Amino acid sequence: MALLETKDVVKRFGGLTAVNKMNFTLEKGQIASIIGPNGAGKTTFFNTLTGIYKPEEGSIEFNGHSLVGLRPDQVAERGIARTFQNIRLFGSMTVIENILVGMHTRLKQRGTDVLFRTKAFYEEEAAAEARAKELMDYVGLKNVGNELARNLPYGGQRRIEIARALAANPTLLLLDEPTAGMNPNETEEAIKLFRRIRDEKGITVLLIEHDMRVVMNISERISVMDYGEKIAEGTPAQIRSNQRVIEAYLGREAAAAQA
Amino acid sequence: MNQYVVIAFAILLGMVIAGGLAVTVERVAYKPLRNAPRLVPLISAIGMSFFLQDAVRLILGLTTGEFNVILPKFGTFDAFQTFNVAGLDAPVQLQNKTILLIAVTIVMLVGLNYLVNGTKIGKAIRAVAQDRPTASLMGINVNLIISITFLIGGALGGAAGVLFALKVTRLDPFVGFFPGLKAFTAAVLGGIGNLTGALLGGIVLGLLESFGASYLGIFTQGAFGAEYKDIFAFAILIAILIFRPSGLLGQTVGQKA
Amino acid sequence: MKKFFSDFYAAINKEPWSYVVTFGLMIIGSVMVYNVPRSLSAFLVLMLSPMAMYFLKMNNKVKLFAGLVLAIVILPVLGIRNIFYLEVIFQICVFAALALGLNIVIGMAGLLDLGYVAFYAVGAYTWAFFGSKQISLLHSVPGAAPANAPFFLENPNWFWLFIFLGVGLAAFAGILLGLPVLRLRGDYLAIVTLGFGEVIRVLALNLDKPLNITNGPQGITPIQRPTLSPVLLDPLRRILEPVVGHEITTAQFYNVFFYFLALVVIIIAVIVARRLEDSRIGRAWTAIREDETAAIAMGIPLVKMKLAAFASGAAFAGAMGVIYAANRTFVSPETFSFLQSIGVLSMVILGGLGSIPGVIIGAAVVVFLNIQVLQTFSLYLSSLRQSDAVIPIINFAWKNLSTQLDPAKYQKLIFGVILVVMMIFRPSGLIPAERRKRELAGETEDSD
Repeated sequence: MALLETKDVVKRFGGLTAVNKMNFTLEKGQIASIIGPNGAGKTTFFNTLTGIYKPEEGSIEFNGHSLVGLRPDQVAERGIARTFQNIRLFGSMTVIENILVGMHTRLKQRGTDVLFRTKAFYEEEAAAEARAKELMDYVGLKNVGNELARNLPYGGQRRIEIARALAANPTLLLLDEPTAGMNPNETEEAIKLFRRIRDEKGITVLLIEHDMRVVMNISERISVMDYGEKIAEGTPAQIRSNQRVIEAYLGREAAAAQA
Repeated sequence: MNQYVVIAFAILLGMVIAGGLAVTVERVAYKPLRNAPRLVPLISAIGMSFFLQDAVRLILGLTTGEFNVILPKFGTFDAFQTFNVAGLDAPVQLQNKTILLIAVTIVMLVGLNYLVNGTKIGKAIRAVAQDRPTASLMGINVNLIISITFLIGGALGGAAGVLFALKVTRLDPFVGFFPGLKAFTAAVLGGIGNLTGALLGGIVLGLLESFGASYLGIFTQGAFGAEYKDIFAFAILIAILIFRPSGLLGQTVGQKA
Repeated sequence: MKKFFSDFYAAINKEPWSYVVTFGLMIIGSVMVYNVPRSLSAFLVLMLSPMAMYFLKMNNKVKLFAGLVLAIVILPVLGIRNIFYLEVIFQICVFAALALGLNIVIGMAGLLDLGYVAFYAVGAYTWAFFGSKQISLLHSVPGAAPANAPFFLENPNWFWLFIFLGVGLAAFAGILLGLPVLRLRGDYLAIVTLGFGEVIRVLALNLDKPLNITNGPQGITPIQRPTLSPVLLDPLRRILEPVVGHEITTAQFYNVFFYFLALVVIIIAVIVARRLEDSRIGRAWTAIREDETAAIAMGIPLVKMKLAAFASGAAFAGAMGVIYAANRTFVSPETFSFLQSIGVLSMVILGGLGSIPGVIIGAAVVVFLNIQVLQTFSLYLSSLRQSDAVIPIINFAWKNLSTQLDPAKYQKLIFGVILVVMMIFRPSGLIPAERRKRELAGETEDSD
């Protein structure tokens, strides 16, 4: 059974159909990408998956359960974590605190534990903090645990977002343009990190990306969207040579990426 | 002097003073906060409203020492006109000042509608409201437009104040508190951003309040009556915001991520 | 000038000077107050000592000891000589608790509640209703109460249970308020909560028919207080009367009692607030405040968390409401007006949104302003009125200044100015929340 399966998902805003009969499947353990020109509906698709939007039509199944009509926090609880196109960190909280927020669904402390500071509470908080530090190391953040998130440079903030998403131990990780604004070095490191996330933690990774180096390098399968529809799907090699896709937007960039 | 001329002059003067005050308040208390998170100018506005009310009280205290002002009868405005409307048993009676109020309100609505929807300045105001940075890139002087917007809003408030004083005749420094809140409720009821909606909202709110207060007394046999009139507006506000947040004439705003 | 202050601060901010300053202030202040009970400068000197305790570097055990001595020994004794001090501390504790509660709603969760005083009213009227004769007066008209109506509760010590009941009922009211406003944006939320506060006030004002629940504008009085056990009082009397120099009445003991009660409650409130802040709940609230969309994507259930914020904030107000009602033995709708909601708001804003020490300081400053400064200003103005002095430059005789001009009544002005000025110049408050970094060793909970 596929991990994620959407059938004929439609999302409209007034007269505009942003996502049009999207059929999409994702197997467990894959690293896949969704690409397409700006405005193709990629982020809207993500938002519909995670419950921010409710689709007008269609079905979304994750691990055999339907996600349609669930609130985003319920979707998160099912094991889907995400990052955002424009970084949405909690700026006035520290890096560690941001990651701890990501752990919200996995922490069990009840009101009584909080108010009366039971042993269970202290143990859980200590374990959570240790895990947050581990995750910081994992994504490559050093010694910034107590810095306010908004004080970190752009690359650092991107890493916090990923650490925060990983904090919930998700089954599926949705990354929305994770390498936007990164220089080639940072991009290289990011690619390595995404692969490690899948290889070491067994998390299925789905990216929206514009950077063809990343897409071609890391994806096992690529789906291409244009005007809300899926116009092509396949391996990087297949997509690279797909006429429709090239027409839509790849053009010369693909050739350059292969060099 | 002709009483209409006096009223017209009073309204004009009220508009000038209130408009000027609004522009000053904007410069002092809201302009520095234009890029702050939403809560901040809101809190500043609350503070400003408190300050202004007590400032009026202070001025009254320093000058006449009398906080409650009772306006004397003026001209023929208190006289009633009777209309015989076909189909009704009794004749309808309206005070002259009420007729004046309705007339001025309609003029204000028409004028404002034309200003906002039919003039270049109106377009500029709408542009600044929707996307301030881009509007400024288009060559619109954002500071000026915002000041003009506050000027208009303040002026209309001033005109309303003059008419209110004419109607109610008993004033104190805090007399504007409830009308201000009810104005907000009326605007939300009609649909924020829609001028006709605001008028409609005001009418509906007024009717609901008046009839509701009286009928409440009748339905509950005197247990709850007109003294609950003021919180009617809040009850209505809560109801709208739960069941129809876009208001009567407003459009539902689409969600954006 | 700035350099002078920072140098001075640096100089006293190390041992042994910090000890000298703190204890010096305490001792000199106490002596001054003992001898000249009504002096403003004496009050200031004494009140500077807890500030010194909080801000200066000292051994924490010494800090605790100094705080305890001040709170348990010095202030009650001085307070018996002049109840003004106990009264001020009581008010500061009450408003600090309210500010802490409002801080949870606005400062932590980011929900602008302008009707917070409603929860205070719920607590106060709950005890007022049950702890008085009102139940037997349900069918009477205000003002026409039969003189020999009995108290509902034979034993006024139910008061202690009612503190918890007040907490519960206020929390429930918080949830009731929260439910319809969950999806509202900031400005709408503010107006609706304002409306809610007004609804409660109008209800308090008018629920004297068909059943006389609140006794209308006249309020409910007398309200019972818990009994003070003679086992405790007699030895205290024997110790204190010689120190104070005169007989101590039961009323004065009650002042001391409520002072201690308020102190205990505020300490509990601070502990609760800190514990909430440093937990999954507190982090979720901050996340919601910062970015709801990101918060919900992290799995934070917005509804539950917002309701929890409203309920928790309200709980603080409910507890203090009960205590306030018992202390004053009288409640009336006037106390629970929009002005009070804005007053508490200005304390939170002044002290620092989201900052626990900040809002306590904010409450202290505003209460002090209201009770002490404005009164003094008022008295000064009166004395000027009686003299033949003239305002310089414009040559206007003070005598001719209207008697209606009473600075003590200009709270709206003060609150308004505080809000506007803070928002423009220092929106994070006097003691910004972010200064308090993650747990540093040696942070103690101070009494005030």
